[in-house]
Amino acid sequence: MRLNGNRRRVVITGVGVITPLGDDPVTLHGALCEGHSALHEMENLPDGSLPPTLAGELRWFDPRAYLAKGNLRPLDRTAQLCASAAGLALEASGWDAERIAADEVGLVLGTMFGSMRTISEFDCRAVVDGPSYAKPMHFANTVINAAAGQTAIWHGLRGINATISGGTVSGLQAIAYAVDLIRCGRARALLAGGAEELCFETLYGFHQAGLLGGSAGGGEARPVPLDRGRNGFALGEAAALLMLEDAESALARGARILAEVSGHGAGFDLSRGSDPRQGEEAVAQALAGALADAGSSATGVDAAVLSANGSVGGDRAEALGLERVWNGGSGELPVTAPKSMLGESLGASGALQVVVVIEAMRSGLLPGIHGLAEVEDGLPLRQATPESRPVEIERGLAVANGLAGKSCAVTVETWAS
Amino acid sequence: MSARVVVTGFGLVTPLGAGSHEIWERLLAGECGTRRVASFDPESYGVDQGGEVTDFAPGAYFRTLDPNSVGRATQLAVAATRLALDDAALELSTLEPARVGVAMGTTSGEAREVEAFDDHLIDGRRSPAPTEFVRRYPCNLIPELIATELGVTGPNLMVPAACAAGTYAIANALDSLRDGRADVMVAGGADCFSRITYAGFARVGAVAPERCQPFDRGRKGMIPAEGAGVLVLETLDAARHRGARIYAEIAGYGLACDAHHMTAAHPQADGAVRAMSAALAESGMSTDEIGYVSAHGTGTPTNDRLEAMAVRRVFNGRGRSVPISSIKSMIGHTMGAASAIEAAVCSLAVAEDRVPPTIHFEQPDPECDLDCVPNRAREVRVGAAMNNSYAFGGYNASMIFRSCAS
Repeated sequence: MRLNGNRRRVVITGVGVITPLGDDPVTLHGALCEGHSALHEMENLPDGSLPPTLAGELRWFDPRAYLAKGNLRPLDRTAQLCASAAGLALEASGWDAERIAADEVGLVLGTMFGSMRTISEFDCRAVVDGPSYAKPMHFANTVINAAAGQTAIWHGLRGINATISGGTVSGLQAIAYAVDLIRCGRARALLAGGAEELCFETLYGFHQAGLLGGSAGGGEARPVPLDRGRNGFALGEAAALLMLEDAESALARGARILAEVSGHGAGFDLSRGSDPRQGEEAVAQALAGALADAGSSATGVDAAVLSANGSVGGDRAEALGLERVWNGGSGELPVTAPKSMLGESLGASGALQVVVVIEAMRSGLLPGIHGLAEVEDGLPLRQATPESRPVEIERGLAVANGLAGKSCAVTVETWAS
Repeated sequence: MSARVVVTGFGLVTPLGAGSHEIWERLLAGECGTRRVASFDPESYGVDQGGEVTDFAPGAYFRTLDPNSVGRATQLAVAATRLALDDAALELSTLEPARVGVAMGTTSGEAREVEAFDDHLIDGRRSPAPTEFVRRYPCNLIPELIATELGVTGPNLMVPAACAAGTYAIANALDSLRDGRADVMVAGGADCFSRITYAGFARVGAVAPERCQPFDRGRKGMIPAEGAGVLVLETLDAARHRGARIYAEIAGYGLACDAHHMTAAHPQADGAVRAMSAALAESGMSTDEIGYVSAHGTGTPTNDRLEAMAVRRVFNGRGRSVPISSIKSMIGHTMGAASAIEAAVCSLAVAEDRVPPTIHFEQPDPECDLDCVPNRAREVRVGAAMNNSYAFGGYNASMIFRSCAS
């Protein structure tokens, strides 16, 4: 049953990912199911700046492999990640250059920082050497929407171009924003997802805030989602974009449909993380909103790909928020947490989770939570397991829980016209 | 038929001060708020003019949060929000918190926070560690902290769309209200004065040495500024039900991307034309019904020339006669706040049939063959106003405000 029988439906017709575990959704999903973790000690940190730090670094990325023709110099790393993932998603969904030129394809990018490296380097140069030594090309990239703008230029995307910043919720919020634009008829085809670079500046900022695994109390990092011994997250680096289209126009152009985005919801915690109950309530608000939007009950969800990243309070709020909406039944819900292997890739993470939902739906295999020894006492998610296992998914859920305040949930289901 | 959405309150924090109607009157009076930069020494930048918000006491606007715990852009944004709610005479306590949302835009977010972080890196990390950096810098904090300050848990969005961000945020708020996701939205934009922005515009030679002169033949550039603009939006039915004063209805908007260049507009103003056309189409209006255009009008030679071309392409013969002014001549370019402040200007122009001038205007430019309301405000039947904004990334945003009286 759908609440709004006449509204436009939004489908996913292609996916593009750039992740430490691969550049296509099948390879990424396979690596996650085999428990291949991308978390390693970060390389090339400035001497003496940080203790050894785990991170999901993207070490193999060569933008030329994805962006063959054109001048790469104006694109900083975030823009390269975004434009590369965009190229893959356009190709996967059958949008060739001719089709793009004849239409107005847009882009909604979720990113927490844009490029913190670009902004910081531009500023430091202007301060240390003087404003006349600042680089004009880099100035254009100091705006937070630079990666989305550069990607539009690279691929000729003339439709609505927007950037959404919502911390770790950015990726799912970008998808929700794009879904709304398509539903109300403002766009027919939008790339939506997220991108985030990993750089010293953000790593240092999160470390100083005591949010990374081990950075608060010292000791060994244990960025294991939901685990009783977790002590903070590890940062990651990735880009993931979905091609979202109005179902009717996707069918009309003969596109292959991977899945439908059937609902989204959002919640907000006024205590900003200081009151655990309000944090749970914000997650519950997002989940309930997404279910209502999809016209589904909690039992209509076959699996959830969680936001959990190893942060002590955030993971707990998410698990207990689920339990509120599942009304005592969340112990039966198959769940996983890919940040156990990819790290917290901030703006990109929510879109990556949706990709995991789609791949689990296609393959019937849900990745495990890498390194999970024992779920924290009191968290009812009994179906959180370290190993991958078979699942049959008709409707899956991706959840994003912010560092302090915001939550978002998106439902994805098999396409049935 | 989706709900009609109206503007019922506005708050402005600008180089001409903080307020609502008093700032509008200063804009109509043609006052200039730009002056020598004081928040840092501009000596090494080759130019020295800026639009800073001076005599600003954030404490007056905060009731929940400690103003010192938030960045300057958030301080400006919270002030504009409180002013807007006061102007709307809206008592939030009468509303369900989950039905009130916040949508904000910015160019650089809390730039001062990243500057402090950079100072720490520059001094070899000898100064105290920036433990609060990731809790104060991310731009999503601006709408989140507004929501916390107000105690509202509805839709919450940060859309950093550079110098068109205010319009993007108001557009999202419009859609949220029409779709029934909220009953009231506060929406706008905010940016703080930043050495990063100043260095960038100074480096590319875009900053005017003395004053901002949009559409003037002798124009020499823009003047970076800071500020915040926030509108209170609600459905027409709800506004009428509570007897609210209604400034204007938002009739429609259009967003388009040039996909051409990061900082230069499309040579035929392709995206600008498409954005204006989409806004007109959604509004079901012709250009004959637009009585005022709020220009992006930065005062740089290229922007103003291409903007004039775009207006001529869309308005045809009326391009020369429709009043079109740029308040950036008075307050400088307030970045992500600019299009939100200009949205308030459009709403007020519609409500009062008065339009603000483009000041510092001396010599017409044949390439900007427009009626830019030179130097003196004008009383004119407006009816509907179009707000045009452009941004880095090839962004074009147009929104139409029309009278609700008819």
